[in-house]
Amino acid sequence: MNLIAQTLADGLVLGGIYALAAVGFSLIFGVLHVINLSHGILVLLGAYLALIFSTTLHIDPLLTMPMVMVVLFAVGYVYQRFLIQQAVDRSPLGSMLLTFGVALMLQNIMIWVFSPDMRNITPTYAFTSFKLGPIAFDAVRVSCLLASLVLLSCLAALLKFSPLGRVIRATAQQTLAARLCGVNVRHVYALTFAVSAAFAGAAGIVIGIILPFSPADEGTWTLNAFVVVVLGGVGSPAGALIGGLLLGIVSTLTAQYIGPSFPNVTMFLLLVLLLLVRPQGLLGNAFAPSR
Amino acid sequence: MKQYPWAVPAIIVVCAIVLAAGPLVLPPFYVRVGQLMLYSSGLAVAWAILGGFAGYGSFGHAAFIGVGAFAAGLVEERFSSLPTPLLLPLGLIVGGLACAVLSAAVAYPILRLRGTFFAIAMLGVCHVCAELNNNLDVLQGSLGLNFPAITPTGWDPANFFYQLYLAAGTIVLLIAWQIRRSRFGAGLLSIREDEDTARMLGVPTERYKRIAFVVSAVLTGLLGVIYGHSLGYITTDSVYRDDTNLSLVVYSLLGGMGTLFGPVIGAFMLVFITQVVLARLLDFHLFATGLLLVVLVLAAPGGVLGFVRSYRLRRRSTAAAPAE
Repeated sequence: MNLIAQTLADGLVLGGIYALAAVGFSLIFGVLHVINLSHGILVLLGAYLALIFSTTLHIDPLLTMPMVMVVLFAVGYVYQRFLIQQAVDRSPLGSMLLTFGVALMLQNIMIWVFSPDMRNITPTYAFTSFKLGPIAFDAVRVSCLLASLVLLSCLAALLKFSPLGRVIRATAQQTLAARLCGVNVRHVYALTFAVSAAFAGAAGIVIGIILPFSPADEGTWTLNAFVVVVLGGVGSPAGALIGGLLLGIVSTLTAQYIGPSFPNVTMFLLLVLLLLVRPQGLLGNAFAPSR
Repeated sequence: MKQYPWAVPAIIVVCAIVLAAGPLVLPPFYVRVGQLMLYSSGLAVAWAILGGFAGYGSFGHAAFIGVGAFAAGLVEERFSSLPTPLLLPLGLIVGGLACAVLSAAVAYPILRLRGTFFAIAMLGVCHVCAELNNNLDVLQGSLGLNFPAITPTGWDPANFFYQLYLAAGTIVLLIAWQIRRSRFGAGLLSIREDEDTARMLGVPTERYKRIAFVVSAVLTGLLGVIYGHSLGYITTDSVYRDDTNLSLVVYSLLGGMGTLFGPVIGAFMLVFITQVVLARLLDFHLFATGLLLVVLVLAAPGGVLGFVRSYRLRRRSTAAAPAE
């Protein structure tokens, strides 16, 4: 019983992080209809930036979040405005391949700059843990989960209440109508991408604290984001959260009860099952843009 | 070409005969490069039957290379007492069957997805196959699998596999040509242009997609069987390769998406660039491939053939224009 509870708790913590890592991917797909295969690279960029900032400034890695998010916001804006915009609306495969090409180039650059070795970020409270009843939580994971939840709520609030959020939602629903109402769609696209990149960077920090990372990991994070989005439904933080938690729980349960070497198998069996039963994702309308 | 329906296969066969003389004049290194070019263009054409004609670009076709190679290898290991000339046909049958079964099984859920979702779901299929192959001990994925030597006595293995790839590539190309000009092929093109309208007009889109998927998978698997033999020893990592998944897309993109010869041109070009031009710059490979992708998408989204075609159209329209 304890084992199940502990596994579920670990799964929830992991799921919160998956959700945070996927939300930017989901937003870009929902608004721009672009599958951003360089998403994993943006996540890793966040992790490496946090590593650099926290070691040079001697501060807690979670405190580097504002800086990392600002840098990635700028990177995302420029990247979308000057590269991806050229391929948006031309063909879905084209924009996907463009982001893949960028991902390959950046991965190679990361290997040159940071070496292909595994790195990790270690905060001062790395090895403290506390117990809640019979279930053990370590401080790092809990603080990371909290950070994820806070960030996801912030994004949800941003989309729901702020003027920027309203414009983004309008563009996602009806690009043409939004344009007719005076929305500068290109600017909104770039801002959406920038927000997504900033959240990918924030996710990178959290991931860097919990797990070791290397430039070769980018594919894993892109793929995870894709699965989360398909499971949860596209375009909303709530969908990402549901999908992320589901994926987290499933992967920890698999690792515990079936074997640690089968994460992808259960993940994709779940995906295929869901596609058969509920092709639009648990929340929302995952495939509206793909149909 | 319309008035000479047999010109295309004639060109293919003549080219194949010319290429067959390659190993006689080329130095050994270039025979290997030639092998890779022919293998890649065979794969590219097989991929394009689904990805180019029907517009369902798959990002996980390496799954079928792996499944074909491993199925063939495992069976050939069990029946290694058979006479050598029978081994390759046996492997081809088993590998092809395995791919047919796998693709028919995943076709139903996977083909419900479209566009990029289909592409990435196929990547998932590839990863799942690789993981199962690696972790189930019966399949010997992590341990590795030896293939029996099938080169007839008196042949140079490099030359033998070169001719094998050439024959396979030619057959795949002829099959693609036959599909392209058939009713089935026209149906696939209509799926690419507008699937819902095609369905409304009475094209059996579901059946056509599924058949194209299985045909493409089986042809890929057969090439995978030959590939396994030419390597001699395979592990999971050497056949389920993500760079193959990517390259298959790039070949069509580079040569011209949806055309018959585009994938072949693309495969020859990309293999030449990576194997000959960039041969000494291994650290640079990822970057160069990425850069090539970016430049292609931005500058020549129609590939080489698309570029040639638009150039011809422009010339024809300027030639017709002076009347005005």
